[in-house]
Amino acid sequence: MIFKTTPAPRRPLRRVRTTTALRPLRHRLDPARVEDIPFRAADGVRLGLTRVDTGDGGRPAVLLLHGHTASADMFLLPETRNLVDALLDDGYEPWLLDWRGSCRLPYNETGRRYTYDDVALYDIPAAVTHIRERIGERPLFVVAHCIGSLTLSLSMAAGLVPGLAGVVSQGVFLTPKLAGRTSLRMSVAGELLKTRIDHIPVDFRKVGLWSRYTPLFALASRRASCPDPTCQILHNSAWGTGASLFVHENLSEATHDRLAELLGPAPLWILPHLRRIELARSVVRWHDTDHRYRALPPNALDAAARIDTPVLLLAGSENGLWLDSQKLCHEVLAHRQPQLDVRYTEIPGYGHLDTFLGRGAALDVFGHILDFLGERR
Amino acid sequence: MRDMNEDAAANAGQRATAESIERGGSGLSVTELLATVTPADPAAEPAHGTDGEPAREVPVPDPAYEVPVPDPAYEDSVPEPAHGALVPDVDGLAAAIATAAGRYLPQGHLDPDADFFDAGGSSVHAVELAAELERDLGVELNLDDVFADARPISLARRWLEAAGHEADVTTAMRTATSKATTVTTVATGTPTSTGTPTSTGTPTSTGTPSSTGSTATTGTTASAAPTPPVGLTSPAPRSPQPITTLPLPEGPPHTTARREDLDQILADLALTDRLPFVHSPEPLPPRRILLTGATGFLGSHMLLDLLRHSDAHVYCLVRGADEETATARLAEQLRSYRLPWNAEVRRRVTVLPGDIRRPRLGLSEELWHTLAHELDSIVGVAAAVDFLRGYQSLRASNVLGTLTLAELAAAGRPKPLHHISSIAVFNEVGITSMGEDDPFAHVDRLIAGYDQSKWAAEVALRRARDHGLIVSALRPGGISGHSRTGAYNPQDLSSGLISAFGRFRTVPAFRYLNAAPVDWVSRVAVAVVCEPDAWGFDYHLTGVPNTLDDVVRDMAFGGMHVRVQDWDEWRTDTLARLEAEPVPELTFLSRVLQSPTALKLCEATLTGPAATGERTDALVEALGLQPAARYDARAQLKTFEKLAGDGLARLPQKDDQPYLWFAETTEGSVRTVDDGTVSPCSMALTLSIASMYQLVKERRVDVTGEVTCPALHPEPLTVERGDVWVRPEEGIPRQHGLRHQLLRYRLRLRDADGRHWWLEGHKYARARRDLWRQTRALTIELGREGEPATLTGEVVVPADSYVRDQIDGIQVAPHLTGQEKRAAKLTWLAWFGLEMGRGLLGPFARAAADLLDLRRTPTPTEHHR
Repeated sequence: MIFKTTPAPRRPLRRVRTTTALRPLRHRLDPARVEDIPFRAADGVRLGLTRVDTGDGGRPAVLLLHGHTASADMFLLPETRNLVDALLDDGYEPWLLDWRGSCRLPYNETGRRYTYDDVALYDIPAAVTHIRERIGERPLFVVAHCIGSLTLSLSMAAGLVPGLAGVVSQGVFLTPKLAGRTSLRMSVAGELLKTRIDHIPVDFRKVGLWSRYTPLFALASRRASCPDPTCQILHNSAWGTGASLFVHENLSEATHDRLAELLGPAPLWILPHLRRIELARSVVRWHDTDHRYRALPPNALDAAARIDTPVLLLAGSENGLWLDSQKLCHEVLAHRQPQLDVRYTEIPGYGHLDTFLGRGAALDVFGHILDFLGERR
Repeated sequence: MRDMNEDAAANAGQRATAESIERGGSGLSVTELLATVTPADPAAEPAHGTDGEPAREVPVPDPAYEVPVPDPAYEDSVPEPAHGALVPDVDGLAAAIATAAGRYLPQGHLDPDADFFDAGGSSVHAVELAAELERDLGVELNLDDVFADARPISLARRWLEAAGHEADVTTAMRTATSKATTVTTVATGTPTSTGTPTSTGTPTSTGTPSSTGSTATTGTTASAAPTPPVGLTSPAPRSPQPITTLPLPEGPPHTTARREDLDQILADLALTDRLPFVHSPEPLPPRRILLTGATGFLGSHMLLDLLRHSDAHVYCLVRGADEETATARLAEQLRSYRLPWNAEVRRRVTVLPGDIRRPRLGLSEELWHTLAHELDSIVGVAAAVDFLRGYQSLRASNVLGTLTLAELAAAGRPKPLHHISSIAVFNEVGITSMGEDDPFAHVDRLIAGYDQSKWAAEVALRRARDHGLIVSALRPGGISGHSRTGAYNPQDLSSGLISAFGRFRTVPAFRYLNAAPVDWVSRVAVAVVCEPDAWGFDYHLTGVPNTLDDVVRDMAFGGMHVRVQDWDEWRTDTLARLEAEPVPELTFLSRVLQSPTALKLCEATLTGPAATGERTDALVEALGLQPAARYDARAQLKTFEKLAGDGLARLPQKDDQPYLWFAETTEGSVRTVDDGTVSPCSMALTLSIASMYQLVKERRVDVTGEVTCPALHPEPLTVERGDVWVRPEEGIPRQHGLRHQLLRYRLRLRDADGRHWWLEGHKYARARRDLWRQTRALTIELGREGEPATLTGEVVVPADSYVRDQIDGIQVAPHLTGQEKRAAKLTWLAWFGLEMGRGLLGPFARAAADLLDLRRTPTPTEHHR
């Protein structure tokens, strides 16, 4: 090497007494109203659960599930009208779960491995149980995005979260579908890189100009319209897979500049499970031989009859990652499980992430969510 | 800054004149006019309506000949007008027409000097009304006249003139004019010095100047009538200034504008001079915006874009009795355009019930003042878009409304006015270029009232710029359907044309279609509103024009092979077809194709040059917006689907002549579910598609043919309805496993005894090496209708017949040309081949991934990067 790579970051102190701590949320709510609950999943993993106190004990609760590598911050954007604002104004009590794929938690980066089975089996059911203990008989809704929604579908098909009042699923639900090109790049790149790196960072400032990730950023910048490397690797390449995570002009400038904070590094070791799910075009269990996971069905689509709650499938018409998975899901469920209450709403002009992060999301997206919740509260 | 509504008494006369013009269209008689300039004259009092209504007893046949002259100095010379008594027939007839017309209106009545269309009448109603008038009153009206000026009083006059009552009318006219001192004499046809009416029934000269004894004759006659030029003969220095000095219209009808319309246009333009001089507004992004026309097609899209791309609160001026009904109307319209209307939208929108056609927009004085001081941007989208109606009928909305907005923009805090104009301002047959800064059409060559009104509005605003007002003129061309939602404007001509193109498979030869999808137009317009550096210029929101070639190619791409016809041929042909099989949704199109004025508009549109928009392109680039793109087949797809869904356009259907078809034979056996008895089964099917659209969107192929299965019936069973889905549900296995779906057959069979059966078949892809067989083997289940399967089995396409039938044997619709046939065949084979390839690959990819998962993954936790 001609250039010496960037100096190694300082070695972190070995954790002896402290445990995993969550990065603080960024929001513009009254700090006294935001209750951070120390919360662990059933297998002992520290997660984040946040309740926004409304001072009103009779409101229906809404659990918000973020996507993989995002965090509860995606529902609390201080710079735009966010979903929590809209829910509070419409008379709901928002609860935000940071499941183990959250970028407020260190697991994606430090390689404490997990699969989506863990999320479906431990994180979501535990959070639902915890919330139920607190809210009693009040109805509980779930609004879930991307992998949060995919794992929720597995939990629901396993019957682990019965009795929800309604579920809003954004981006993908039971039938994940990626573009062939995305799928191929994901598999090939994953196989090539997995012995060298274990995650793909999105924040150029944290890895420096010259690092082992430089070729990735360089590839992601091919034919990109925006010069920001973080935006390139997300908008232009979706962690190197070549898909597009959002419609660029839908993000406000402030959100665009905060992308590195909103979305963290993507672990590579999750790819085998994701690949298996995607190639099967349905949510399938990873652990076939580990009996701790037998509560989960081998294929959630086959077990979809256990879903006992109305589902609203939302998707942006320009979703560059999951394409028309939601439309497909609606079609498949209408054919195979006609008894389920599933409806599909397409949001014209929106991509994947901007359905929650977009500056106009309140106008174009949240209205559908509030209407759906309002019918069932 | 002087507020227009706080006019000093000194301007009262002027204002009253202008207001009465605003209120009652041009229904101003000389007497009334004089009355307005001499408010103190008790003799003139009756000319005023009690609450600002224009006078109804109008004695003069055609008000357009009279021009408001607000000169109080003339009051002395005004004798008491002789109302009504002269031509009672006009009023009586007008009242009768008004009563008849009122029955077609939501409010149930119509004032004789109110415009039928402005009051809510539709063109369908106008046609019915004309028929009713002819039947009941014996009044035969030319439908074009009705559209040109649909005030009962004008209709009455027009008919009386045409029906030989000219003498009376002219007498009345002369009486009136001789008493009045200010007459614009406009001679038409063959003016005679004696004042006898011409036999053509066209507007007649009002007599020679000498006979009227007026102090000035302001009109000049092209045919060298003995009228010296104005001013030369005018003895009095205080002679009223002429508003028009126009040559005679010449040539065949409908090649130049009507005289009275031109006079009215000039009178309307003069209203701009009342605007005060204003300072520049603060160059900041707007926080409070007034939007008119939010219930319209472009306006509603702009409302949402304003909310999305700014932090502004938007005040929407919406017609309605109160806020509740206005809000309900806005909500209904937004929904009909597939736009959101929910709590999040409502919290940023305030609905103001009002009307663009009324003074102060129909708002209370207090509200007007509040708005004048609080708003920081005005966006005028509201306009009456109707290609049949005349200028008189459209001016209240399109010209006077715009002027009222300019008044509001100039009042209180100065604010920019963003005016949605139209490239209709160039809509002259034979215009050579349409750039943003190119000269407009000659107004006397604009025939359609719509073109005239848009021209007048924009020219008036150009004058307003000289008063210091910041005015942006945004000129869209055709506004096509939304490229993502497919929302379209049902009243729009382009929707009708596209539907007709697709329905009849013919297009008229045109040069360019200057049309852009509504999402792009709205986005760019909103960018201008939100960007202070963009204010105050003219923009063309026309996108990239489509040429005839583009359109033909796009439609062929969508499987609709159209034939190009000459415009006249196309028009006749389309009219004939619309008459032969009427499509209610396209009635308006046939009306447009029959109206001489609207035809001029169409002709100018079809023969016009491409509109260019360098300034718009620069703005789009500077702001990083989506660059203009051609409105191509993909962008049109959603709109076309919606047009078809709403009954305007028509997609090819099952019963139509198939686009492409081929035979498929299969042989095999079935066994009964109960005891496993095996019997033979074979199928002779014809697979066809009605259009490529069906294939790509529904992934479905139609099936007809026969099934021979002795286990069901000794004779062959007919396929009543059959479909084949290619890679249904993306090939997702029906049960967990590697058996992906390739094809799904669903047939409804009828046996010779009339009993019904169902057949469900699947071709599966598996991770096995017998790929050739996988594509041919069909696993089937058969059963009595409504009952579970009784037979299962497998039928296979014989290997030798596959290529012969399904590749060599493909037939294409005979009316296509050889090239089109080959293209159709190749497209089908390429599409189907790719789909099969993807389907077959699925299980192998999964098997390969399973193998890869066996690899060890020695990923270390990264400490060093």
